[in-house]
Amino acid sequence: MNNFEWANASSIESAVKLLQPVDPQGDPDEMARPIGGGQDLLTSMKEYLVRPPRVVNLKTIAGLDQIKPDGKGGLRIGATVTITDLYENADVQAKFPGLAEAATSIASPQIRNVGTVGGNLCQRPRCWYFRLESVQCIKKGGPVCYAAGGQNKYNAIFNTGPSKIVHPSDLAPMLIALGATVTIFGTEGARTIPMDTFFTTPNQDVRKENILKDGEIVTEVQVPATTARSTYLKFKERESYDFALSAVAAVVEFALDKTVRNARLVLGGVASIPWHVPAAEKSLIGKTITEDNAAAAATLALANAKPLEFNAYKVPLTETLIRRALLKLNA
Amino acid sequence: MATKTIKVPKMLNGAPTGEVDTIQVEDYGVATWGPKTKHRLLNTHLPRVDAPNKTTGTAIYTHDVKVPGMLHGRLVTSIHAHARITSIDISAAQKIPGVKAVLPIVAAGGEVIYEGQAVAAVAATTPEIALDGARAIVVKYQVLPHVVTVDDALKPGAPTVGRGPGRGGNGQGNQQQVEAAVAACDAVVEAEYRTPILHHCCLETHAVVADFRGGPNATVYVSTQATFGIPGDAQRELGVPVTGVVTHMGGGFGSKGGGIGVVGQWACRLAKQLNTPVKMVNTRREEFLMTGNGPGSLHKFKAGANKNGTLVAISTIQYGMGGIGNGGIAAQPYSYVAQNVFRQSTSVNTHEDSSVPMRAPGHPQACFAMESLMDELAYKIGMDPVEFRKKNLPNNANGTAWHRQLDAGAKAIGWANRNATPGGGAGPLKRGMGCAIGSWGGGGRAQCVVDVKISQDGSVLVTSGSQDLGTGTRTYVRAIVAEELGLDMTAVVEKIGSTAYGNAGGSGGSTTTASLAPAVKDAAYNARIALAKLVAPLLGAASADEVWFDKGQAMGNGKSIPWKQACAAVPAAGLSARGQFVGALSGNGAHGASFAEVEVDTDTGHVRVTKMCHVQDGGLIMNRLTAESQINGGMIQSLGMALFEGRVMDPALGIMLNPAFNDYKLPGAMEMPELIPIIDDGDERNVVIGIAEPANIPGCGAVANAVFNACGVRVRETPITPDKILNGLIELRRAKA
Repeated sequence: MNNFEWANASSIESAVKLLQPVDPQGDPDEMARPIGGGQDLLTSMKEYLVRPPRVVNLKTIAGLDQIKPDGKGGLRIGATVTITDLYENADVQAKFPGLAEAATSIASPQIRNVGTVGGNLCQRPRCWYFRLESVQCIKKGGPVCYAAGGQNKYNAIFNTGPSKIVHPSDLAPMLIALGATVTIFGTEGARTIPMDTFFTTPNQDVRKENILKDGEIVTEVQVPATTARSTYLKFKERESYDFALSAVAAVVEFALDKTVRNARLVLGGVASIPWHVPAAEKSLIGKTITEDNAAAAATLALANAKPLEFNAYKVPLTETLIRRALLKLNA
Repeated sequence: MATKTIKVPKMLNGAPTGEVDTIQVEDYGVATWGPKTKHRLLNTHLPRVDAPNKTTGTAIYTHDVKVPGMLHGRLVTSIHAHARITSIDISAAQKIPGVKAVLPIVAAGGEVIYEGQAVAAVAATTPEIALDGARAIVVKYQVLPHVVTVDDALKPGAPTVGRGPGRGGNGQGNQQQVEAAVAACDAVVEAEYRTPILHHCCLETHAVVADFRGGPNATVYVSTQATFGIPGDAQRELGVPVTGVVTHMGGGFGSKGGGIGVVGQWACRLAKQLNTPVKMVNTRREEFLMTGNGPGSLHKFKAGANKNGTLVAISTIQYGMGGIGNGGIAAQPYSYVAQNVFRQSTSVNTHEDSSVPMRAPGHPQACFAMESLMDELAYKIGMDPVEFRKKNLPNNANGTAWHRQLDAGAKAIGWANRNATPGGGAGPLKRGMGCAIGSWGGGGRAQCVVDVKISQDGSVLVTSGSQDLGTGTRTYVRAIVAEELGLDMTAVVEKIGSTAYGNAGGSGGSTTTASLAPAVKDAAYNARIALAKLVAPLLGAASADEVWFDKGQAMGNGKSIPWKQACAAVPAAGLSARGQFVGALSGNGAHGASFAEVEVDTDTGHVRVTKMCHVQDGGLIMNRLTAESQINGGMIQSLGMALFEGRVMDPALGIMLNPAFNDYKLPGAMEMPELIPIIDDGDERNVVIGIAEPANIPGCGAVANAVFNACGVRVRETPITPDKILNGLIELRRAKA
């Protein structure tokens, strides 16, 4: 990696200050970067995918690694909470089992021990072409998405623009399904937005995967109280350690008569952003979950899929995951 | 003289009674293994003598070697599959403080013919500065047409690789006649099977420390499979006599057989230029791209069998994909016999690094293809796949071994309970079983010299230049000597891995143990006889013949003295004995059979191997524990080949897309099935035969066949990934509809 300056932030404000100045005309991959666990950032730096002159350490900010009750039955999760701390948290396990499942599905125990919630949300895609320094793909300012016409077995089946990456986060689909919000801090202070508006498609900005401006950081995620059941089913090619070929975050609230009052289905591993499927959700409302209803919802969810040359298998695979998730929540 | 009588003190409750007893001992007058069942140490389960060091991290590997004043080397490698270098500008690199030397490897005007080919080398005071230096070298390329897939390479007018097409196929048999015989059979299978280029994935990448300081000699440390391959290569570069050293090794699997390799050559050249030691270590990416691959393969079969289970005719056209190398693949019909055989084997060159040996070169590929084909034929004629295999084995000792192993493996896996109908049964989870067989040479050669030295203080040292590839060489070297001298394992010290010790061959073809163990035995035997001569007077024995060593005692003539006391008879300079290869102690010809049980989720395409067993013969087993480890390792490696591993190339860009462990997927802990290693004790040969490579041959075919038995999908290209299974299931449903 290139030489860089290391700066320990003492507060959120100091972190934002240390990330300045930002050159609006500059290459986004050459800006100062915040670091949590560094599991993605350091490997990206070693491959020269990002070349920050300064790395700002968020782990020195007191309190940012805490999971706290929000007083209304929900949770506030600091950006530097590790993935291990997240799934070992008793409240997370009791109230949001799907979130605990998503956390345990991530990477390896070693990575979960240091990787953070903020880092998981902000990690860069795993597309082979993007990760190779010698390939100047569209996400790195080049002219072409090589995956579109190349080896795209792991790429997107929903079309969201000129790059065919899939978003690699496991927490993101689950948090969106749970109706989470995220707090962003920048030079103009803090703002809290729904998590489902945080991620952006290549159509919006092909160089980025979220709305963070350079110099901004994620400080906290809020998960509101819910009586709904939740689960996260992730399909990995290699169980020991892998990113999702496909995943589904499902949150279902049942009425007393076992009919569905509300459902949220967000897919991972299939699009450049966590992929929300409202039509499938609506199809379940007022119904009990049966094999047929679950299958119908799954079919609806994938109806607009546009697979590439080598990833059509993701359609039946994702349908299966949706079906199984719904039936699991019904049990 | 097979047995002899030794007079020993009669013991009662651990104390001598003063009377004389006799014992019968085996002694043949030459170095001999003795009966297989009567070993005290050999053929038992011996923990590795280096296990504590390895597990606590104190074992030194070449990656750990540091010598005073050492510089760090780094390569610049080609980013293109095929290009002409128009210019190399090293001036910026030379200006970086800490960069000590920059050497162009390919001159301007020269060509590179694969991604990862070394283009320039840098030496600097730290690895980080060396990397900065390497990146500061500006290489300009004129990109030339490339070809990186077998299909593209076989097209007319495909770009030429290297010096020429290099595609000379060799044929055997009459294709027309054989294919006519195929067509006349009850059941015919025409199919293509493919395997991608595989990687050795040594956890220790290739590494060298060239300790040359401008003096009259040098020491070169290499992570290599051939200690004695170091001096020749290194002396050519350094111009002075070289001592080669191999410390502990983090794996080779065939990739570290070729002398000092590219990093060795350039570490030596940099050291020579600077009169300063240079260390050079391949990065993981370089390891994937430039240190040699296990070749891919393409097999085109037409084969026919009759309903009685006879494999009648088989026509095979086979391509080895070894990049710029030869990519040799074992000949078909591999383990089986057929009345009519046509075979043609061709090497297909692509713009990729050269194939090198990889754990049973060419065999796992040929075995996967042939065993899949045999399975397809067996199902077509409705015969039990094990029975069909048995019917087509050679009628000789090889066939006898496989019959025995197929029976043993079938019993261990529970073959009788296997899924009767592929894809049958309710629910998405389907279980299935498969099998396959393989063979290998594994014989020894006259190449090792071993020395045993017994000192006056009773210490015993055995030395050999041989490297320990990780198979447990140190442990059996020590065990052979300890057993021969009647000592505990802890009473013997072994030193290996240096050209300062006796000559030894490279580890290739699973020949190390079969070559080295007989020489160790010979040295130990010679040491025992020499010591017996010296000790006889202490016991009052008339001759060495009356002396025996057991339980840490020298005994004879009705007396017994502790080992250390007996060694007082050794001269001050110690007793030295040398051993050479003894052909009668070594054999050739290993056979194995693998069985696998898998569970396939037909809704997701996920394959879980639930159980795997491998039956392996190897004559006399030196150490059952490490032999079983070898068998386990072979099963794991073949499971990886079956389900996960393979180089992925972008045909248009000509580059490898997965040169990292995140993307070149090795099986991990969660992928491990119940592993059942079975040493075939039905093998009566009382000679040492290598088993390291054969344990890796049939497992892949067994898993592939189990997948078919489970879900009815025949995946003809490894790795058998979920996408291929799901696509196969869709095709099956379409065919049924």
